[in-house]
Amino acid sequence: MKVGLFIPCYINAVYPEVGRASYELLRKVGCEVEYPLDQTCCGQPMANAGFEKDAKALAERMDALFAKYDYVVGPSASCVVFVREGYPRLLDNYKEHACVDARIWEICEFLHDVVKPARLDARFPHRVSLHNSCHGVRKMDLSSPSEMNVPLHSKLRDLLALVEGVEVAEPERRDECCGFGGMFSVEENAVSVAMGRAKVQRHIATGAEYITGADSSCLMHMQGIIDREKLPVKTLHIVEILNSKL
Amino acid sequence: MSSKDEILKKLSADGMPEYPYPVPDFTPQRFDDPAATFAERLEAAGGRAVRMAPDETLDDVVRRCYPDARTIASTMPELGIATLDPDAVEDPRELVDVDLGVVTGAFGVAENGAVWIAQDIRHKALYFGATALVIVIPKDAIVDTMHEAVMRPEVDDFGYGCFMSGPSKTADIEQALVFGAHGPMSVTVVIRA
Amino acid sequence: MSTHSKAAKRFVADAERMAWHDKALYAVREKRDRMMMTVPEWEGLRRLSSEIKRHTLSRLGHYLCEFERNATANGMVVHWAKDAAEMNATVWELVREHGGTNLIKSKSMLSEECGLTPYLEERGVDAVESDLGERIMQLLHRPPSHIVLPAIAVRREEVGTLFEREMHTEPGNSDPTYLTHAARKALRPKFLDADISMTGVNFAVASTGALAVCTNEGNADLGTSFADLHIAIMGIEKVIPDMAALAVFTRLLARSGTGQPVTSYTSLYRRPAPGKQIHVILVDNGRSEWLADAAHRNMLKCLRCGACLNTCPVYRRSGGSTYSYFIPGPLGINLGMLRSPKLYHGNVSACSLCYSCSDVCPAQIDLGEQIYMWRQQLDGLHLADPVKKLSVKGMDFIMGGRRRFYGGIALARAAEKLPRFVLENGLNPWSAPGRAMPPFAPKTFNGWWKKTKKDE
Repeated sequence: MKVGLFIPCYINAVYPEVGRASYELLRKVGCEVEYPLDQTCCGQPMANAGFEKDAKALAERMDALFAKYDYVVGPSASCVVFVREGYPRLLDNYKEHACVDARIWEICEFLHDVVKPARLDARFPHRVSLHNSCHGVRKMDLSSPSEMNVPLHSKLRDLLALVEGVEVAEPERRDECCGFGGMFSVEENAVSVAMGRAKVQRHIATGAEYITGADSSCLMHMQGIIDREKLPVKTLHIVEILNSKL
Repeated sequence: MSSKDEILKKLSADGMPEYPYPVPDFTPQRFDDPAATFAERLEAAGGRAVRMAPDETLDDVVRRCYPDARTIASTMPELGIATLDPDAVEDPRELVDVDLGVVTGAFGVAENGAVWIAQDIRHKALYFGATALVIVIPKDAIVDTMHEAVMRPEVDDFGYGCFMSGPSKTADIEQALVFGAHGPMSVTVVIRA
Repeated sequence: MSTHSKAAKRFVADAERMAWHDKALYAVREKRDRMMMTVPEWEGLRRLSSEIKRHTLSRLGHYLCEFERNATANGMVVHWAKDAAEMNATVWELVREHGGTNLIKSKSMLSEECGLTPYLEERGVDAVESDLGERIMQLLHRPPSHIVLPAIAVRREEVGTLFEREMHTEPGNSDPTYLTHAARKALRPKFLDADISMTGVNFAVASTGALAVCTNEGNADLGTSFADLHIAIMGIEKVIPDMAALAVFTRLLARSGTGQPVTSYTSLYRRPAPGKQIHVILVDNGRSEWLADAAHRNMLKCLRCGACLNTCPVYRRSGGSTYSYFIPGPLGINLGMLRSPKLYHGNVSACSLCYSCSDVCPAQIDLGEQIYMWRQQLDGLHLADPVKKLSVKGMDFIMGGRRRFYGGIALARAAEKLPRFVLENGLNPWSAPGRAMPPFAPKTFNGWWKKTKKDE
């Protein structure tokens, strides 16, 4: 299975280890992985701030970079959601089912729904608290939203069940927003930080050593609060756990 | 052009396509024991359901539930202990703060503990002004959900009617639940034997 | 900084109060969740409710006329008002014709929207709010901060002090039961002596010409029990086709809003009692224009349950008074923009795009998605924040070229060596009190890939 690896801008710059873990993990489950060089940004930050149209050139660039891949896979739920929802409005000569939005997957949903590995040969003997990010939950169905009367499920939990030794907890208010929200965290920084603090405290209350999830942007926001307040917990992208060594 | 015509003209030019009346894609829930569910949910709403025993009179039940009530207003002929005929009163203000009103309800709704009352007394003030209210409903008159409730014949013809679920309540001060905001402090639904 | 953001900063500064507000409202959200779980067909109900509203909106003129016909046949009098001014004038005319200056009101968001109470007060009418929360706000001379829980941001001690002054309650007693019953006593004469009663309308049933009014306190019904004139005001979107639709909405309304299976009172006014009158005013006030706006017409499906406020993490932590429109939260952000982008665009920032509002809405309104759309529209309306615009243009410029992007990261990495006070100041958008900057990695993923592949 040939996969084009999509590495969002802030992962490229701030969390390259998440990119490496994604690459290794996809290889481990039998995918042939290519990384089209010189990727920058999908355009989500501009769009959430109210300048979706300014993301047009970036969308065209993404679409061209990944034109030859049947599967485009990236370790960020919110970026993938933006490509799926925003690109149909942005791409010139948009063709349904043909452009990158129709072929892009968040890495956990790709593993869970497409690759379906029976084992991961991973071991992570720690207690982790699951961060159900808003776009992952409410726009991608990585887990069932607490607002809806639907059967409980979590693709993240299903994948973590393949990891030896890991203990999975979820915070109270399991899918309440952490307050990142892109430009929101800047423009409404008082509320954003208040939301982030509350979220981190609820993760800590589970007794977990790590907060893990499928969105580095939420983790980055929470890590900023953890660092500033020197709190006893760390953030770690879920691919790094799924890719941990036995 | 009248305001009505102006509004209608704008509405007809809203550019919205016409959508058909939808068909539900579900079967409404049913309860194994609707009367038990009714009682449970009425209690959660702050009221209570009381079943009349076969050998009990309405007087007995009302006395049993409200032993201290002194002024009791009711138009029900079988209620011997009534002290006031609310229909004989000219001014509805006289019904305010009577200890107890005893009135007729048509049926209960299991899913929410509500009782449908179609006004059959002269002043509806009694329903809301009495300190406590007893609503008497026929035996087995409990429907499962509101879907069934609104289709009942009693909800087809009325001047004023109300689905009443428990006593008047508010949580407007710090979300603390308090009964008796303006209306009855206590509501008991009596189910006939 | 947006108007909301500035005001929210002050609300957040009182950490204890913010935490209380957040917790109180989240508890309502949790009650709602428990209620939802008792209804297996919940999602089907939401879908049905949304589709009934859509159908009704698509034939709104038809249903309004049907309602008018049936309500008139039932003995009510129906008026039409194209805007707030006409509604207020119609009410005033009815009041004058009838005589009397004591008016008892039950909660109506439309009344707030049209500024009816101050309008009547200017004309010497004593318009008394009878819903406890509304009455507290009226006596405090402050607008409600929630559409269903008007006094949610007021602490019990404040109510105690207020009632001590207004109702001569015991000094220092702030027990909610005591205060509620004091208000009950104090409002009794207002109900009994009212010349006119006024209510809002939750649903107007076209097929029967009946008005449904939902309350927990019974204040609407007590109000209409004495005065011989009942004036009911409603937005034109409140009409529903029939009783079957009423069942759907009453199953959803209170469960969504307060976590009750139904409100204590769901009252249906169909025919005026002998010797009494019911006048209904159908108010447009912008709604027909919103209906023509395909991107935002869904807002007219709203049942006014308040669930989107309770679930909104931003509203819970910033309170109703930080929004410039009289309705706060996701609902208010959207309705404010429909009313006037120029006046109310300062609320559009108050959303982290978590979309919880869209998932709780009992009419499946895409509230979060519409806020996203409004953000896109701001630039075209010349209302975009110039600083934000500049920063986006800057981001766009950097992301637009690989050299600029990777060169930029190298620069930023170097900049990190600067002392912390240079980085974490007000000029750096990412720095906020309480959140540290993320450090850049020594090597980008792109750089690592290039090196690894070269080495392979």
